[in-house]
Order: sequence, then C-alpha cells, then structure tokens
Amino acid sequence: MELFSPDFGLIFWMFVTVLLLVLLLGKFGWPFIVKSLEERANLIDKGVEYAQEAKSQLENAQKEAAKYVTEAQKQQAEILREAAKMKSQIIEEAKGAAAVEAKKVMDAAKVSIEQARKESEMQFRSEVSRFALQIAEKVVRKDLADEKSQAELVEKLLNEVETKN
Amino acid sequence: MKKVLSILFILAMMLAVNPMSVSASEHSSEQVDPKAVIFEHLGDTYGWAAPFSHSTYIPLPVIVRDYAGQWHVFSSARVEHGASYNGFKIAETGENKGKIVEVKADGSEYRPLDLSITKNVAALFISALVVVLCVMRIRHWYRKNPLKAPRKGTAFLELIVEFVYNTVIRPTLGKKSSKFGPYLLTVFFLIFVMNLLGLIVIFPGGANLTGNIAVTMVLALFTFFMTNVFGTKHYWKEVFWPDVPWWLKVPLPIMPMIELFGLFTKPAALTVRLFANMMGGHIIVLVLTLLIFIFGAFGTAVMGVTTVFSVAFSLFMLLLDTLVSFIQAFVFTMLSALFISLAQESHGDELEI
Repeated sequence: MELFSPDFGLIFWMFVTVLLLVLLLGKFGWPFIVKSLEERANLIDKGVEYAQEAKSQLENAQKEAAKYVTEAQKQQAEILREAAKMKSQIIEEAKGAAAVEAKKVMDAAKVSIEQARKESEMQFRSEVSRFALQIAEKVVRKDLADEKSQAELVEKLLNEVETKN
Repeated sequence: MKKVLSILFILAMMLAVNPMSVSASEHSSEQVDPKAVIFEHLGDTYGWAAPFSHSTYIPLPVIVRDYAGQWHVFSSARVEHGASYNGFKIAETGENKGKIVEVKADGSEYRPLDLSITKNVAALFISALVVVLCVMRIRHWYRKNPLKAPRKGTAFLELIVEFVYNTVIRPTLGKKSSKFGPYLLTVFFLIFVMNLLGLIVIFPGGANLTGNIAVTMVLALFTFFMTNVFGTKHYWKEVFWPDVPWWLKVPLPIMPMIELFGLFTKPAALTVRLFANMMGGHIIVLVLTLLIFIFGAFGTAVMGVTTVFSVAFSLFMLLLDTLVSFIQAFVFTMLSALFISLAQESHGDELEI
C-alpha cells in the first residue's frame, strides 16, 4: 500500500526542503527572533524591577514627608508657644520700661518744677528787693533832708522785711 | 444563538442541495467506492485537483530518469487520463498503480527514478514558504521595532514561538537551547503548517503531508541525526557500556543491544506517532463524509438524516484535528528536544539549566 511504503521522490524533496529550511531559518530567522524575545523579556523584567523600586522609594519618600510634616507641625506649635511667651514677656518688659521712663520723666519734672519754683522765688525776692529799693529810693528822695527819719525808716523797713521773712 | 441558527441554516441548505447531486450521480450511474475515494484523498497525485473539480487538474512538473539514464521533465497534464508521453504513463494496475512508469520496447513496465513535483511535494514547498514568510514577518517586526511587542497576527506568531521556546526547548535543553532551538522551532512550524494546510480541502491545502510516512520519516531521521551526531561521549558510553551489573554486558551484551535498539525505536516512534495521528484524523473525516454517499443508496430521507449527522461530526472532527495539528507538532518538537537533551548529558550529572 502506498501509504506505508515511502515514496523516494517525496523523501528526496522533503530532505532537501527541511535541510534548506533549517539552514536558512537557523542562520537568519530564529537566532535573531529568540535574541529579540529575550532582550524584550529582560527589558520588561528590568522595567518591573525599576517600577517596584520606584514604588518602594515613593513609599519611603511619603513616610519621610509625613515625618517631616509632623515634625514641622511640632516645631510650629513650639514656635507659636514661644512667640506667645515672648509676646507677653515683651509686653511685660515694655510695661516695666514705660513705668521706669514715666518715673524718670516725673522725677525730672519734679526737679524742674522745684528749680522753677526756686528760681521764681529768687526772682520774686530780687523783684521785692528792687521794689523795696525803689520804694526806699522814693522815700529817700522825699525825706533826703531828714537823716534821722531816714535811718528810722530804714530800720523800720528792715524790721518789716525781717518779720515778713 | 445567532451562530447556531446560521449553522442550522447551512445544514438545511446542504439538505436541499444534496438530493440534486445524488440524482446527478445516479444519472451518470457512478458507484461510490469508499476505499478508492479514501486512498485517493490520502495518497499522492501528479496533478493537483482544481478546487471543486475531480476532472480538471492543476499541472505540476514531472521529473523522471528513464531506463537509459536520461532525465525527462514534462507537465503532468501530458500523462493525465491514461495518456502516454514519450513512453511514460501512469500505471493503472499492478504494484506501481498510480505511479509513472516507462513502457519499455518489450511491453514491460519499468519504474523510473521519480523526483516529480507531485501534489505532496508542491504542498511541502507551499508549507515551507508559509513558514519562511511567518518567520520573516516576526523578524521584520523586530528589525523595525526592537524591544517592542508585536501586534495582531505577528503577535500570534510570536506567541507560538515563545510558547514552544519557553515551555519545551529551554526547560529541556537549558544552555544548549541556542544550539538546537533553531532546528526544533523550524520542525515545529513546518509540521504545524503542514498539518493545518492538510485540513483545508481545496487547492493550497488538501495534501495529506504529515499523514504520509515519507514526510514523518524524514523529520524523524533529522532528529535522529541531530541526536546522535551531537551526542556526548557519556551518551555513547551509556549506549555501549551502560551502568548495569556486568553479567548483563559480558559475555552476552544484552543491555548494549537493547540500548542500540532503543536508538532506532525513538525515530520510529516519532515517525509512526505523527503519521498515524494525522492520517487517522483525515480518514475519520473522509469516512464521515462518505457515509452520506453510502447511505444515499437507501433513499433521500435516510440521506438527509445522515447528512446532518455527518456534517456535524465532520465539523467536530475537523475542529478536533485543528487541536491535534497543534498537539502533534508540539509533541514531535517536545520528544525531539527530549531525545536531543538525553544525548547531551555529560558524566552522570543532570543537564545544567
């Protein structure tokens, strides 16, 4: 039967075809395709690795960021507290300083008032003595002749002044 | 649901058409000879039957060397329908039935050396061309787009390549895969394409290539050569001086003989497995189709019922054969890879992967 007895012509052509096909594809086809497949698989592997790394890095970064945020918040709270403290301190200080300054001003005012009073007293005194002299002069001019009464008057006036003081 | 309806519609159409063809064949009083039809479909012819015709043939070149050692090349159309050309004709009876014979002067028939491009050889060339085109398509893609995944058809081809390479070749051969991978991939694709083309009933397909023992034998011999030519020292030691008690080797070399015998049973198993599987699939489909004509003798009603069942089962068998086409190509590649890897072992340790 033909099916079980191989035909020489077909064997020959099959042999030639397979040999050529194996040589042709083995040289130009498969190595390049397999190499490309492997390169692509490697690239994908690398990509996955990279993505995983990036993901873990991102997670780390997020954790770090959260840490920084809490730290910053803590610092902020501290700074605020400190600021509040400083504020009250400054106010206190300002108040103290103001009081001291006010006292100084008051003292200076007191001194100047005293001085002014003394000055005015002195002035008043000299004015009085000037008036007295003028009066005396007038009196002297009127009673120039009478030396006795002159002396009497001076005496009297001086006494008066003395008692006044 | 829509698909089921369309299948039923096609079946109904067939029912409507068949009685007409039956009456036509009754008129020409042709008797269907199932055996002849089956072997005609499984066998080889010099011309290739044109689609949907049994009388016209696509001519193919006939290449023969006559008794005197002279080469002759002529079209198969010249020896069609019992015609004779330059003393050559297709034998109608005898052991060379269906083959080209030379009628010598004394009237005896001489079977010349026949390297004709028959239907099977032409189908083989077409299959090889399809394989080359497929491979070149993937290669072209990677030339243009290195490191990018192919799309559509190329992606499907690449999927098969990757499947075969990563599930069979690499796990079996390990470091040697780059050496034997090209051969195994070529064989896989050639068998796969030949199987699939064999399932197509009209012109570029229809040749029962992998169901032909010559084809499977050559493929198995290639694996045999690949196995033994590249076999390691350790492999040959295992064949002629295996690791068994001495009395199995001396004085009567029982084990070496068994091992030596095993060298040849491997390719034989490869040959018969592929051949029998593919031929079996073809025969079942042919028989199922022929049932229609055999039962046609019992009347139109019987024939109608048979047609529905035959077509349904043929369809099922063809789908199964599509699966078998892949599986057999895969199994052939797997066993080849296994045989080659067994001959690559060195000094008792396992093959490094």
